[in-house]
Amino acid sequence: MVRSFEKKMSHVTELYKMVSNFHVPGSGDTDSGVPEFGFSPEVVLYPESVEEISRVLGFASQKGIRVFPFAGGTKLFLGNPVCSVGAALSLKRLGRVLFHEPSDMVSTVECGMEVREFQKAVGRENQLFPVDPPGLNSGATVGGLVSTNLCGPMSTRYGTCRELILGIRAVRADGEIINLGGKVVKNVAGYDIPKLMAGSLGTLCVLVEATFRLYPRQPSSRTLVLGFDNHVSCSQAARAIFAADVVPTCFEILDERLSSEFSAAPGAKRSVLLKFDSFEEAVIEQIKQVREITSGKSASFVEMGDEDSRKLWDSAREFPFLSGASFSSKLTLPVTASIEILSDIESNPALSGVTVRCLSRPARGVALVSVSGEGEEAVIAARFLENLADSLGGRIMFSGVRRELRERVKAWGDFGDALFLMKNIKRRFDPGNILPGEKIFDAD
Amino acid sequence: MDSQAVKRTGRWKSRITSELVGILGAGAVISAEDELIAYESDGLTGYRVKPLFVVLPSTAEEVSQVVKICNREKIPFVPRGAGTGLSGGALPNREGIVISLSRMNRILDVDIPNRVVVVEPGVVNISVTDAVSAEGFYYAPDPSSQIVCTIGGNVAENSGGVHCLKYGVTTNHVLGVEMVLPDGAVVTLGGPAPESLGYDLLSLVVGSEGLLGIVTKVFLRIIKKPQMVKTLFASFERIEDAGASVSAIISSGVIPAGMEIMDNLSINAVETTVGAGYPRDAGAILLVELDGPEAEVKTQVPAVSEILRENGAIEIKLAADESERQLFWKGRKSAFAAMGKISPGYYVQDGVIPRSTLAKVLGEIGELGRRYGLRVANVFHAGDGNLHPLVLYDPEVEGESEKAEELSGEILRVCVDVGGSITGEHGVGFDKKRFLPLMFNEQEIDTMNLVRCAFDEEGLCNPGKVFPTPRTCVEPGMKKQGPETTPAKEMGELF
Ligand SMILES: Cc1cc2nc3c(=O)[nH]c(=O)nc-3n(C[C@H](O)[C@H](O)[C@H](O)COP(=O)(O)OP(=O)(O)OC[C@H]3O[C@@H](n4cnc5c(N)ncnc54)[C@H](O)[C@@H]3O)c2cc1C
Repeated sequence: MVRSFEKKMSHVTELYKMVSNFHVPGSGDTDSGVPEFGFSPEVVLYPESVEEISRVLGFASQKGIRVFPFAGGTKLFLGNPVCSVGAALSLKRLGRVLFHEPSDMVSTVECGMEVREFQKAVGRENQLFPVDPPGLNSGATVGGLVSTNLCGPMSTRYGTCRELILGIRAVRADGEIINLGGKVVKNVAGYDIPKLMAGSLGTLCVLVEATFRLYPRQPSSRTLVLGFDNHVSCSQAARAIFAADVVPTCFEILDERLSSEFSAAPGAKRSVLLKFDSFEEAVIEQIKQVREITSGKSASFVEMGDEDSRKLWDSAREFPFLSGASFSSKLTLPVTASIEILSDIESNPALSGVTVRCLSRPARGVALVSVSGEGEEAVIAARFLENLADSLGGRIMFSGVRRELRERVKAWGDFGDALFLMKNIKRRFDPGNILPGEKIFDAD
Repeated sequence: MDSQAVKRTGRWKSRITSELVGILGAGAVISAEDELIAYESDGLTGYRVKPLFVVLPSTAEEVSQVVKICNREKIPFVPRGAGTGLSGGALPNREGIVISLSRMNRILDVDIPNRVVVVEPGVVNISVTDAVSAEGFYYAPDPSSQIVCTIGGNVAENSGGVHCLKYGVTTNHVLGVEMVLPDGAVVTLGGPAPESLGYDLLSLVVGSEGLLGIVTKVFLRIIKKPQMVKTLFASFERIEDAGASVSAIISSGVIPAGMEIMDNLSINAVETTVGAGYPRDAGAILLVELDGPEAEVKTQVPAVSEILRENGAIEIKLAADESERQLFWKGRKSAFAAMGKISPGYYVQDGVIPRSTLAKVLGEIGELGRRYGLRVANVFHAGDGNLHPLVLYDPEVEGESEKAEELSGEILRVCVDVGGSITGEHGVGFDKKRFLPLMFNEQEIDTMNLVRCAFDEEGLCNPGKVFPTPRTCVEPGMKKQGPETTPAKEMGELF
């Protein structure tokens, strides 16, 4: 046992030679770039090229050294905790825009680049990489974005990065470098493996580059907040907006607590947040339409100023990962269920022992629910949400679960029939589980 | 003599026939030679293979039972929709069974509040829109074959259409599927919710060209009909200017629902046959369809017209009403058929290029046409760079069809050389598998095989398609990973 451990240690030190830079935790030298992993890698590697990553994985897979890819380190709490890892592999040094052809509206970027920086780069050509994940301003990277498939309020109009990703360059667990998909917006040559990467949490390949479709920036933008006295009128208004001839970029419903905390509509029982981006005349016209269809239903109707709306959207974007919560959850539901869920949650005695905050994104059928509470009561709340998702024909995922609850609140709800196919895929892509499969699959 | 050949005797065939009849009923099993002819090929009629049987199941359970027999007997099987595919995807195997989904053609649920329609795979594309049109909705992907092709075929090919620039292709509109896996198990992936969690298996199934299983139910997203639709027609002296207009329109912040270009040869073919009123002397015409909230479209129309003018449009017309709009589109929609009228044979190609390379690529296609002594008409989804060059030839002239095929292949090389793709919507199928290595190396194709093996270890589901050379699942296409120290072992059984 001791021998095998020592042997593995020596294998890990071999990895040092394969990359431009590395850091050995606990060795005295500090590395400000190392996040709180929740596990102790023997080394943190900083490769500077895809070839270095390929060498690392090729060697690691032969020797059975487990490798944990990361970049910004802002979303390490997603998925199940990771067991043991030999090397953490940072993509931080691969952070350039490699290609941007404005007239094609396509760009290829290295995965260590911060999403914010990427957006600035394409923004210089008046183009938009329309994904606004939580952590956007605190270091979220493109690689993290793809592997978590996280998104924010703008997903109402643009979807998640799954809808935008056209191609990838990645390193397989056995070290092979692969380029899949392409650089054109329409392409059906071969399976759509780039989309498979979206949401795979780094369990299948190490993503090195991604190519995305971009959108044009819109000349004018306005934000509206509607306050409601009760759930029924809010729900009617939300359905009417959903059915109207308007195309909001963002469309969210907040419960009472968030309506106040976000300073959206303090005192309101519910609020609806809307953002329209288009030509000025079209924005004004759509706001007028919303006013007409919701008149008599909403208690307040406010067009926000620039500064206030920026703050509001920052809050909505960051909401799911509020610090202080015992856990947050994402429920994926049919559209109408994602509207009604606010009242399902509000009126339920199972949640009386905890503080609940809920934001719904109806066009995506998504409800984000954060729960603050202690021990058993938090667990009861988690079970309740799990059952609720199930009964509404949806699925659930928990994240940021407090350490003491982790045994009882697992990251993933039921995957249904998909589970064994997911396992087949993982087994095919990474038979030795070199990449952290336990983030998605329970050890059983 | 291998054991397979021994088994495939007349006795074997009649035993399988009676077993299939037992499951499906006599009217749903075809084995007579003359009746099999209709299933020998898909829309690409150059390839023909007669299968052993064609079966017409009515339920997922029946599909599953047939597939289980195929597994037991090691019979390859091929799912089939309407057979309009243009890459030989539904081409049968000589020793195989064609599973036609045409009888599974019911719309199972229309859920307007949730914007979901649930259909069986044999439902014809246009029927989905027909079912929700009165409520003000439609199903966005609109292949030109939409009055005949099926949703199952669309899912398998990830089909597109003229309105995909703004609204996306099939993969953007499929929320879930029920499918019979290649071993006969019935599974559901996704469902009525717009988002799902875990690995995105659905994105693999859409566009899988019938290799990952047989889709038996589909959850489709429907969208609201736009409040306003306006169609602009512009003619140009040079096709390059039409191409430059397309890029300029998108760069200005406008994403039209569709943008289609036709070159001079296509214009004349269409005028000769249907008379859409296109100017015969124009180098190219461009159709731009703008849709969305009224206020938005009203602002976009003058902005786009201005861009067209700046880029050298000779004539710009805005369809005054629905009938004029239909007239503008009539020519485009009948372009393929028109080729059949001006040439005894034509070969439809499907390649994709970055928009910015349009002028260069069209120049090279023209050059290739001259070199081969064949005419090439260009009709394309210009907004997303999806070209459909139509290579005209005379099958009666010795060697000309081979020349046309070769020229078509050369066009794909040009597309790949400028960073494009060998197929934008028709799929790889049987026809283009030899071109897949233009885009992907062995390791990359092996990686695709990992996906196939995760679904179909036996390789019985639509074999001989997509992959340029046969690949098994025995060697998973991976280098060997750590022997005694595999972490999976240390961690306990992970899977
Ligand atoms: C005139 C014409 C115009 C066309 N225009 C367009 C266009 O604009 N855009 C476009 O994208 N395509 C177009 N096509 C191509 C074709 O119509 C599409 O590929 C269509 O999706 C095929 O549908 P189908 O039902 O005919 O499928 P088939 O041709 O029967 O099958 C196609 C593939 O799907 C598989 N398949 C079928 N059903 C299932 C199922 N239930 N489960 C799993 N696999 C299945 C088959 O095995 C095969 O590989 C056109 C074809 C023609 C003839």
